[in-house]
This record gives sequence, structure tokens and C-alpha cells, in this order.
Amino acid sequence: MTRFLLRRLGQALAVVFGVALLTFLLFHAFAPDPVRAALGQHANASSVAALRAQWGLDRPLLQQFWLFLSQIIHFDFGRSFVNGDDLATLIGNGAWVSLAVTVPPFVAGLLISVAVALFVAYHRGGRIDRLSRALFVGGMSVSALVYVIVLQYGLAYKLGWFPINGYAGGWAAPHYLLLPWLILLAVSIGPDVRLYRNVLLNEVRADHVRTARAKGASEARVLVRHVLPNAAIPILTNTVSSLPFLILGSLLLERFFSIPGIGDLVVSSLANGDFPVLKAVTVLSALALVAFNLLTDLLYVWADPRVRLA
Amino acid sequence: MSHTHFRFDRRRLLAGTTGAALALGWPASQAQADGRILVIARSDPFKSMDPVRAFEDNSSLLQELAYSTLLTYAWLERPYRLEPDLLERLPERSADGLSYQFTLRRGVMFHDDACFPGGKGRELVADDVLFNLRRFADARLNQESWFLLEDMLVGLDEYRAATLKAPPEADLSGTAVAGLVKQDSHRFTLRLKRENTLFLYAFASPATSIVAPEAAKVDGERLATHPVGTGPYRLKDFERKGVIRWVRHAGYHRSYPAAGGAGDAEAGLLKAAGRRRPFVETLEMPLIEESQPRILKFLRGELDLVNLDRAAIDRMLRRENGRYQLLPEYTQRFTLYQSERLTAMYLWINQKDPLLGRNKALRQAIAHLLDVPGDIETVQRGAAQPLGSIVPLPIAGSERDTGARPAGYDPERAKALLAQAGFPEGRGLAELTVSCGFAAIEWRDRFDFHRARFAAAGVRLKSNFTDQPTFIKSVEASNFQLALYGWVADYPDAENFYQLLIGRNAAPGPNLASFSHPEYNRAYEAARLMAAGPERLVHLRRMNDIVRDEVPLVPLYNSLRVGLRQNWVRNHKYHLLISNAAPYLDLEGPPSRR
Repeated sequence: MTRFLLRRLGQALAVVFGVALLTFLLFHAFAPDPVRAALGQHANASSVAALRAQWGLDRPLLQQFWLFLSQIIHFDFGRSFVNGDDLATLIGNGAWVSLAVTVPPFVAGLLISVAVALFVAYHRGGRIDRLSRALFVGGMSVSALVYVIVLQYGLAYKLGWFPINGYAGGWAAPHYLLLPWLILLAVSIGPDVRLYRNVLLNEVRADHVRTARAKGASEARVLVRHVLPNAAIPILTNTVSSLPFLILGSLLLERFFSIPGIGDLVVSSLANGDFPVLKAVTVLSALALVAFNLLTDLLYVWADPRVRLA
Repeated sequence: MSHTHFRFDRRRLLAGTTGAALALGWPASQAQADGRILVIARSDPFKSMDPVRAFEDNSSLLQELAYSTLLTYAWLERPYRLEPDLLERLPERSADGLSYQFTLRRGVMFHDDACFPGGKGRELVADDVLFNLRRFADARLNQESWFLLEDMLVGLDEYRAATLKAPPEADLSGTAVAGLVKQDSHRFTLRLKRENTLFLYAFASPATSIVAPEAAKVDGERLATHPVGTGPYRLKDFERKGVIRWVRHAGYHRSYPAAGGAGDAEAGLLKAAGRRRPFVETLEMPLIEESQPRILKFLRGELDLVNLDRAAIDRMLRRENGRYQLLPEYTQRFTLYQSERLTAMYLWINQKDPLLGRNKALRQAIAHLLDVPGDIETVQRGAAQPLGSIVPLPIAGSERDTGARPAGYDPERAKALLAQAGFPEGRGLAELTVSCGFAAIEWRDRFDFHRARFAAAGVRLKSNFTDQPTFIKSVEASNFQLALYGWVADYPDAENFYQLLIGRNAAPGPNLASFSHPEYNRAYEAARLMAAGPERLVHLRRMNDIVRDEVPLVPLYNSLRVGLRQNWVRNHKYHLLISNAAPYLDLEGPPSRR
């Protein structure tokens, strides 16, 4: 286990270094010049040079990369080019808001999708299975943007059940987040139900399940006690690999509902050429992905005693 | 964090108190003085509330609330006229035109803030203005708006050069600058390097707003989000991505204007004449970046003003005789406003391009192939006016004064010119590339629209869409053939637009076409500092004729701002040079309607 952890830690460091290098090179090679973006129609040579110097963009590339690496090591990504805000605070605050947006529908979605998938698997091949397939495939085919626009218009504006947009922290948060949660749930539940149904159906045909049935176990007991635990690994993989994206929030929802999360921050930074923000979010996302992949591997051992880490 | 809007409840409560107040015989204005909230959405995040650190619309919108400038523009009068704001009267010009004396209004108070002894704001004095002028010139702080005073005041450019070399923390604010002369506590003189009547416009820009030196010295960085000025509103609380709340500055020094333009009295715009501003106690500015929620909140009465985009124009308006009208279902609830903006869009033609630069007939053919009215009708749903000259319509010296007319869409004339250019029916003419730095779908629609028009005459167009900085980089390096790019007025004078084509401004300067025409340059220099009048028009007309003949660019259109306000909003008149109308607005009507 220790050897496994050390090896994965080494791999993680290499991955993060690779992502940092790639991010840095891509931004320098292909991204628009942030100084020009900031100065607009009145950029003259002296202003461009002064701002470039102020942002450290006149230093040699190697020196800039070293600075970027040291920022990653110290978890201090400096300040936004656009508004001078401290990025650690900006991203920290945004991450909590994004988690408030994404975690509740994620948890609810997981429970509902597994339950619905079990129910559908129970009725496999029947009318309920066919109806659910049509419903969920239809739901998946609709763009998330359509859900946002239609539900914001219909439920918030026309029916007045929810605020049109806005956000407040603390106990007031659910008042503003209920509609975004419903939309996230509506968007995510279809693909998950389809995936989990297929996983469960694969298990349904396994030998031990047939044995359980032969011993007289009810279909419901077979599904819950014998099928579900053995389908845990794909469900776990799907669930844990989604976790890093929860911190990144939802670009569309945060934008349409004026929720100050990471998703909205990324969209604004892209529009404004705020590269320190984009670089920080890219590297932090890579870190989160690496960490949660490692967590997935460790959870495999817990979920399936046959798995050995080496 | 709190973006809560429990304002309906508060307004119901207000309805009760207002009714009681009226029953007791209190004046309505007094009864309504407290508790009212004006809500105006921001559509983009701001960069900084520090005037010298950000020079863009989203920041100006806030800077205009917190700060005052030496001069401003009259709220109601058109054409736009400078008037004193922090000054007692307009600056007095010396006989040689090389110095101006400024006299500050007495009794102008800074907002109460912890940066002052006892937290109580003090009176504005001349030293504050001179401190701010040095701060404006500090190269460590100001990269965006320095052009407003660049190469104008004696010694200020040298001061800027010194700040560039100074360490970041060095305080140079005590350094003497020969062009900034204090006379007494409320008077100072600015000395110019050379005569320049346009320099006064700089003092109406939010970039030259006066910040409290105490606040800047305590923590200059904090000014980005904690403004301390003499403006009509004081910041109460703020969230960069949420709601920014302001409260009325009780000691604000300005009143509502007594003079207006034609029709203003009939429109009820002078009812508040002479009353101390601002009228509304609290101002909320939520950030709503997407159009749909902005419009929906407006429809529900949760916003007081809203600008309309293409989709909203399609849904809520119809056009009649070239003007927008509200659809009948909205006329009882909202008031429509529309105004030409101070922006002009052009198709630039690179004079350094080996093909286009040497072939005048080809450039003239291009001008006749641009169906600008069709573009406005089809792509912009009518939200623009075609331009006949380089100057936007609301500015003195535009085609309304000079009589300039667009080349006009004329495919037959274009075909004849193409033949004259050596490309009959477009034969032998290589595909022309149109560069564009705007990402919105409207620009793709525009390109497709014109490509079809050009193709009908045998001219093939291809597009080169990039992000804005990449676009600017390539056009400044003259690496383009045709480019779609506009100009936003820095001040309401035609000079700001005619300078776009003078030889010394050639790329990488704002003259993207690298047009160089000695006669144009002479006419420009002659007209530059001349007051508006027939003599100046002679020079402007000559420049228009040269542009129309040489075609370094084709003026395309002047965009319109189309928006709606709730019928309970009073004193609103769309102003092109004042970003934030809030300090002039009042709210009327029973709060239950709101």
C-alpha cells in the first residue's frame, strides 16, 4: 500500500508539472495578449510596455514559468490581471459557492438515479423500462441551455415559484438555489440512470445472481443485496470522477442565475483575458482530478475486497 | 454575502408610511425621501472603482457615483455642453491660451470615512485636486487613461517619467510640477505646453475624478473597492459578482438642472429643477450578465431601467417610420428610449496592402458594394443609423452639419468601378480577407450578409475572425486587407474622429488604414482647435471629400442604444457621456405598482 501511494504520488507530481508546463506554454503561444486586451483603443507603446512590466510579462519565459511553479507550490497564484483581486480569496470563495450549487443536486441525483436504475432494472424489458428509456434519452437529448432558459422563464418568471436570479449565502442560499438545483438534477439524472441501469443489467446475468434466485430470493432482494454491491465499482468510478467538477461549478447556471461561483469566474476570465485566474483554475482542476483518481483507487479496495493495490 | 431583494415588502411598508405622511400634510418629496430603492443592473463586472486604474464603461458606471469631476456635461441640454461640477465656474483661459485658472466650489464635502480624523469627511481644497493630477500621471497606477492629458501640461510628462523609474512604494506626490500651480485653498492654475482648447474635456472624464488623498495614502489598493470621494452616492456594501449598494451622500453639492433642451419641460424633465440631488436614498446595482434574466426581472418590476439586445427588440418592439415603438401590451407599463451612441463602425481598407492600397477604383467599388441599410435592417433589427462621414451623428461636425452622404449601395456603379480597376465582373481579383475582432454571432451574420452582396458582383470575401487583442495586434502591424473596427468617442468633438486618419497617427496608431494624405492632414490641423462654425465646416467638408474619394475606410453605421424604463422612473433622459443616470433619477407613483 505504501509503495502504491508513493508511486501514485510521484505520478501525480509528474502530471501536475506536465499540466503546469502545458498550460503555461499554451497561454503564451496561443492566448491573446492580456495587455492589449486591458488597454483597448488607447494602447500606445509606452502604456503597453509599462503594463507589461507591471504584470511581469516582460521577464524571460523561464523566469515566468519558475514564478508560476512557485505559485503552485505555495498555493498563492498572485492577483487577477483585470481587477487586482487576490486569487486565493477569489477562487476560495468561488469554490464554496460552486459547491453549494453542485453538491446537493449531485447527492440527490446519485440516490435518485441508483433507485430509479434499480427500479427500471427490476422491470427490464417491460413497459416501464421502455417508457423510462424514451423519457431519459429524450431528456438527455435536450441541451442544458434549453433547460435553463425554459425553466427560468416558466417556473421563475411566469409562475413566480422561484427568484429569477440572484444569490445569497448562509440560510438564504436555498431560496436562490432551488431552481438551479432542479435544473442540474434534470440535466444529470438521465445519463446516470442509463449508465447505472446498464451496469445493473450486466450484473443481473451473473452466476451468483442466478444462484440467489435459484435459492428462492425475491427479485427485489436479489437486486438490492446481490446485484447492487457488485455493481458498486462502476458507480463509484462514475461518482468519484465527477467530484472534481463539482468545485468547478456550472458555467451556464452560474451565469444565468448570477451565482458568483468558479464557473462564472472562468467565463468572465475567458472574456477578459484574465490569465492568472485561468491558469490557477486549470492547475487546481488538474490537482483535484489527480487527487480524486487516487481516492477512487483506494475506494476500490473498500468496495471490492478482491482488489489489491500494488 | 447577501443579494437578497426583499424590496417589495419594504415598498409595501413604504406605501403605508407615505400614505400616512401625505395624510398628515407632509410634502410628498419629504415623505418619499427615505427607504426608496432604485435598482439598475450591471451587465458586466467592473475592473476597479479607482479612477486612475480603470478606464472602461463598467468601472465608470460606479466611479461616477462615488466621485465628482472638475467639469461635467449638462444633463438635459443638447448638443452636449461642459458645465462646472466641482468648480464654481468654467476655467478661465489666459490671453495667450497657455494657462487656465480653476476655482473650486466652496463647501464640497468628502464622504464620511474612517480615513478622516473622527471619520468625518472634510471640505475639498485645491491641494486635493493637484494631488489627484499627480496621481493621474503616475505611471505605476495609470496605464489606461493617461492619453487624456499626455503631452499637454508643463512638467507632467516628466513627472510621469520619474514615477516610471521609481520603486513601487516610493511616494512622489510631493514633487513639484511646473504646470500645476496652487494659488490659494480653492484656486489653482494649470499651464499648458501649447494652446489646446480640447484639454478641458479630460476634466469631465471619470478617470480624472477626485479621490480623497487620505484614502489613497492609507491604502491605494483599497480604493479599487472602497471609494472615498465627493460623489452623489457613498458605497454601502459591495460584492464584485453580486449586488453593489449605495446610499445617498447627504452633503452632495449639486442640484437638479433648471435649464433643459427643447421639449424637456413638456416631458416633465424640469419638475425637479433646483432640488438638491440625489433623490433616491438607496441605489442597488446587481450584476446580471445574461440578457434573459435582466429582461425578466425588468418585466417583473425588479429593475428600473434596462437596455435591450436584438432578441428583446424582436420580442418587445415594432418599427414604424424607422423608429421603434413598444408593442401595445407594454405601452402602459414602460417607456421606450432610443438614442444614437457616440460610436462609429468602419470598414478599414489597408493602404499598405499591395492590392488595395494602389487601386483607388477597387476601394471605391468596395464602398459601393457595402449595403449598410440592408445590414442595419437585417442584422441589427434597425438598431443603427447609416453613416455618411467618420463622425457619429450626435457630435457637432457630423454629417448633420457637413451634409456628407454615404457612398451608398450601388452594385451597378461598383461593377463599373471594378472594370475600371482591372477586374471586370471580379475576374482576376483574388479573394479579399475581412478581419474582425468581435466574437458575437452578430458579426458572423454581418459577414455572411455582406459576403453574399459582394459575391453577386463577383467579389469573393473570406473572414478572419479572432479575439480582440489578436485582431488589434495584427491591424496595428498592418497585417490585414479589410477590417471591421470602430471608435468610441473620448469627448464630443469631431476632432476625436477626424484624427483617426491623419498621417502621424498611422498604424500602430489609431489610423489603422495607414492613410497619409497631405491635404487631409492640413485640413485637420486647421480645424483641430477651431470653434464650431462655418469656417471649421469648410475644413471638415474637405476632409470628408478626401475620405470619400480615397476610401481609406468606409463609414458604416452609428449604433443606437434602445432601452426601457419603468413608468415610475422620473427625470430620465438618455445621456451619451454620463454613464450612470442614477444621481438624476427619481421614483414616483404608488409603491404598490412597483
